[in-house]
Amino acid sequence: MPKLVLKFQNSVLKEAAVGEREVSIGRSPDNGLVIDNPAVSHYHARVFNEEGRLMIEDFGSMNGTFVNGQRVKMVALKPGDSVEIGKHTILVADSRETGDPFFKGGVPRPAAPKINETVMLDTKERREFLQKVAAVGESAQPAPARVKVATLVVKNGKTNQKEYTLSDKLTVIGRSAMATVKLKAWFAPKVAAQINRREDNCYYIGAAEKVPTINGQPVIHPAKLSSGDIIEVAGIQLEFVYRD
Amino acid sequence: MSDSAGIEYGTRSDTGRVRENNEDSSCIAPELNLFVLSDGMGGQASGEIASRLTTETVVAHCRDAEQNPALPLIGGRLEGISDATNRLVSAVRLANRVVHKAAKRDAAQAGMGATVVAVVVNGERVSLAHVGDSRAYRLRNGELERLTQDHSFIAEQVRHGLMTEQDAANSNLQNVLLRALGAEAEVEVEAGEEVLMEGDTILLCSDGLTHELSDAQIAGALGDADDPQEAADRLVDLANEAGGEDNITVIVVRSAPRLVGTISKIGKWFRGS
Repeated sequence: MPKLVLKFQNSVLKEAAVGEREVSIGRSPDNGLVIDNPAVSHYHARVFNEEGRLMIEDFGSMNGTFVNGQRVKMVALKPGDSVEIGKHTILVADSRETGDPFFKGGVPRPAAPKINETVMLDTKERREFLQKVAAVGESAQPAPARVKVATLVVKNGKTNQKEYTLSDKLTVIGRSAMATVKLKAWFAPKVAAQINRREDNCYYIGAAEKVPTINGQPVIHPAKLSSGDIIEVAGIQLEFVYRD
Repeated sequence: MSDSAGIEYGTRSDTGRVRENNEDSSCIAPELNLFVLSDGMGGQASGEIASRLTTETVVAHCRDAEQNPALPLIGGRLEGISDATNRLVSAVRLANRVVHKAAKRDAAQAGMGATVVAVVVNGERVSLAHVGDSRAYRLRNGELERLTQDHSFIAEQVRHGLMTEQDAANSNLQNVLLRALGAEAEVEVEAGEEVLMEGDTILLCSDGLTHELSDAQIAGALGDADDPQEAADRLVDLANEAGGEDNITVIVVRSAPRLVGTISKIGKWFRGS
């Protein structure tokens, strides 16, 4: 099955396989291959199979669709073709080959490469890639405002404080000496639940001796907390909020 | 194997069924409850050298700090984590410098690098530090949780919503790392903290395990074993049965339920040890 590999300069941004269903390309999020860039029309072009041939059709886009440098309305594609839309490039590849365009140009590989060999991206490529994903990631999903302070407000139950600022990577709720949210009830569990701040700077609550609930839903696997969530565990009720 | 604090562990490293040499290393300091695992990369024997330098440096730095708590932290202090976690991060940063220097000094070792995942247990608090795609998991009440995120090209794509989990599993870029020890003079170390409950099991492993086994298989092997060594052996055997395409290294750490700890102490007392 052919694959479309979306690249920006030297970085692979995403891949889409073209099977029975066509792949639409454009800036709107409901496209099969979304390119979030003002130079790209909302519904820019489509790639589809017609009697075993892979075709691309431009939907009359403002800035055009180019195949190997030629502006096109509708043409057949073959593996190795390069489709340019705005500053982005879409490589046409057999799905088995999709990794190759990325390896070209700088990934250190041993003389006799093994498919399983672990490799590092070299410094320049890695920096470029991280900048790209950061740029794409920020437009794709708004990050939680980092200036806000995660806070637990005690709504109900016996604890040592009424409010807790979550500044640590790990916050323990329980009777334990290491607990931040200290439970004062007689038979309270040592470690009722835990909250972790992960690399994405979001907070996740997970079960320990007790299974907490968020807004009434039990938390089996660690769940991300959102502002306004009500947490209940070991007889206490807490509200999680981001404060300014 | 066990120690007085109710921490039991088992470990095993295996070349697997395809590779000719084992580039993984592990190192354990039982007196510190410190467990370190590393997966090396590079031509000739340099992968083995990189992973061994890594594990030995991490353990040596933590032992030095135990003797001399005033030992400076390499690369400064991170906020929001305990002293123990900061020390572990410091040890990993030092290992990076050591591997980086060795790679620059010796042409035969140019381009070598290593992943690392390290854990230290202090009472109920578990400190984690990692770089690369070696992982830590925790089994609690039968539920397996991954405690680390891979610093790989693929994982980063998934994290930013550029690739689905499904696409990631089928991608042939699985082995491209974005962070590794030795690549540059400084490295960003990911730190984590966890709470250790009685009965929790922590698994450190190289990607030779996780490429062969599903989470369900890992959880099953950890949950069924009577002790951590049996779990470690079973995991390596299963990964080899599934293909053993890469080196496989595991460290299994368990916080023994207090009752079991007490029984084993009584047993030792009867045997006069």
